[in-house]
Amino acid sequence: MEKELVINGYRKSFGKSLLYTLPVFLITFVFMSGGRPDFSDPARLVALLVTFAGMNLLYFLMHYTGRTDRYRAILFIIFALSLSFTLISNIVQMRNSMSFSQSDIVECRIPFCHLVIPMMIIPAAFTKSIIFPGSIIGGFADISSMVILWLFATIALGRGFCSWGCFYGGWDDGFSRIRKKPLLKKISDSWKWMPFALLLMVMLTAAMTLVPTYCDWICPFKAVTEFEQVTDTESAIKAGIFISLFGGLVVALPVVTRKRTQCSFLCPLGAINTLSNKITPFTVKIDNEKCTKCYKCTTVCPLFALSREDVNGGRVSVFCSKCGKCVDVCPNNAIHFGIKGVPAGSFRNFSRNLFLFVSFIFISIFSAGSIINTIQSLLNFIIS
Amino acid sequence: MKKIKIISGIIWAFMALIIILILFPGLNSFSVALSKLPFMKINPNFAGGDAAFSYVQERCTLVVRKPVFDGLLSERKHGFVQLDWRGELPDVISDTIDFDRDGGSDFVVNLKRNDAVTVINPLSDLVTGLNVSVPTSYGWTVRVGLKRE
Repeated sequence: MEKELVINGYRKSFGKSLLYTLPVFLITFVFMSGGRPDFSDPARLVALLVTFAGMNLLYFLMHYTGRTDRYRAILFIIFALSLSFTLISNIVQMRNSMSFSQSDIVECRIPFCHLVIPMMIIPAAFTKSIIFPGSIIGGFADISSMVILWLFATIALGRGFCSWGCFYGGWDDGFSRIRKKPLLKKISDSWKWMPFALLLMVMLTAAMTLVPTYCDWICPFKAVTEFEQVTDTESAIKAGIFISLFGGLVVALPVVTRKRTQCSFLCPLGAINTLSNKITPFTVKIDNEKCTKCYKCTTVCPLFALSREDVNGGRVSVFCSKCGKCVDVCPNNAIHFGIKGVPAGSFRNFSRNLFLFVSFIFISIFSAGSIINTIQSLLNFIIS
Repeated sequence: MKKIKIISGIIWAFMALIIILILFPGLNSFSVALSKLPFMKINPNFAGGDAAFSYVQERCTLVVRKPVFDGLLSERKHGFVQLDWRGELPDVISDTIDFDRDGGSDFVVNLKRNDAVTVINPLSDLVTGLNVSVPTSYGWTVRVGLKRE
């Protein structure tokens, strides 16, 4: 009965779901194939078709079942895995190793990622330059393209970027889903303010030293991308720190708490995205008339964005990444995707359809390249 | 007032849709436009500074960059000067450098490429020693530490 209630809220008929999928079908086809699929490489073509079909199936299921998070998470986790695979294989092809050397720094050949953005701001304002040894434009993961991608996405989705675009978030998300029930339930949600402290710290230290200190010393995702060659004590300490943080915050804690602990407690860009949640049009709303205060939503929220006080107050905090987990789990359909300015309970289906369309278009096109590359590489490996 | 809020919210939501729809087709042109902004250049602490002058040698060219002391608000006390050897490099390099072009030699670089051994002999008080010596895709790069006058 409870399951039926949850599903009934947003599920559509088969035909209507197909109709809603049609625009995504056309847009993803144009972007993935460039409007003209390449038939010369069979492995590439198969990879493209599998990615295309898989993505559209996920979007269809979001409408057909009325569930969001389950299907979002599948794409989000695959994106994280495939991006790391693509990045590592590109780096290994360039350098025969996952580690980068002084030569790569001197020649400014380090691929850029969005986590550097908070540290760029003050030096860019004062020195009129970017404190990162990457390429400004052209080449693999250049600074300009990554900044534009993040900027547009954070304006449109706010912290939704953390659940619909960040290719690191999928690692946290994936590990947080391994256990059905959390082993560790009581974690103070005041830890969610930690990224703001870290944001301030890395922005100031980066400004003082003109070095992206978070990337240099802290970032746990070096474990799944690239890291500094261990040549001396300092680089060995750095390696120890990022491996410990990856093991602790990305793997162990998410498994035992079912929360995205790295995203909640460490990520400085997450703090900036939290601020941009103030300007994005999309939000998650609580319909007080329907809410029975069962607090299931507060238990499942992976980013500590929903406390009992928030539910009692009938609002979701700015930490919300619009993953849709609370929306899916609510037995009374009291929580729904909404648009700012529109009262809770109104335009529920319209708001959800529009938000899903915007966010799914972003993640599907953003992730398509790396997923296709990964499937193609796996096919080539199997064939050879 | 309520209606205005609803309408403006929905208009903003549709604008978000347009933002995402134009993002991918326009990514290249937006990136090019961003890259042309004045602050979109790599900090000299990473890029090595602009080229100051070069010595054309038998089979390679030595490019001496401008000294880098860049700090956030003002120049730092310590910096470096970068030397790039480009082209077909000999196994052993020995060059005397006058990086500030004041007529007096500032240091001698002795580089044995095969052993990856680099020795700096300072001839000026401003030179503090070797910072970096690495092979590059175009030849070899050395960064020599400097003190500000």
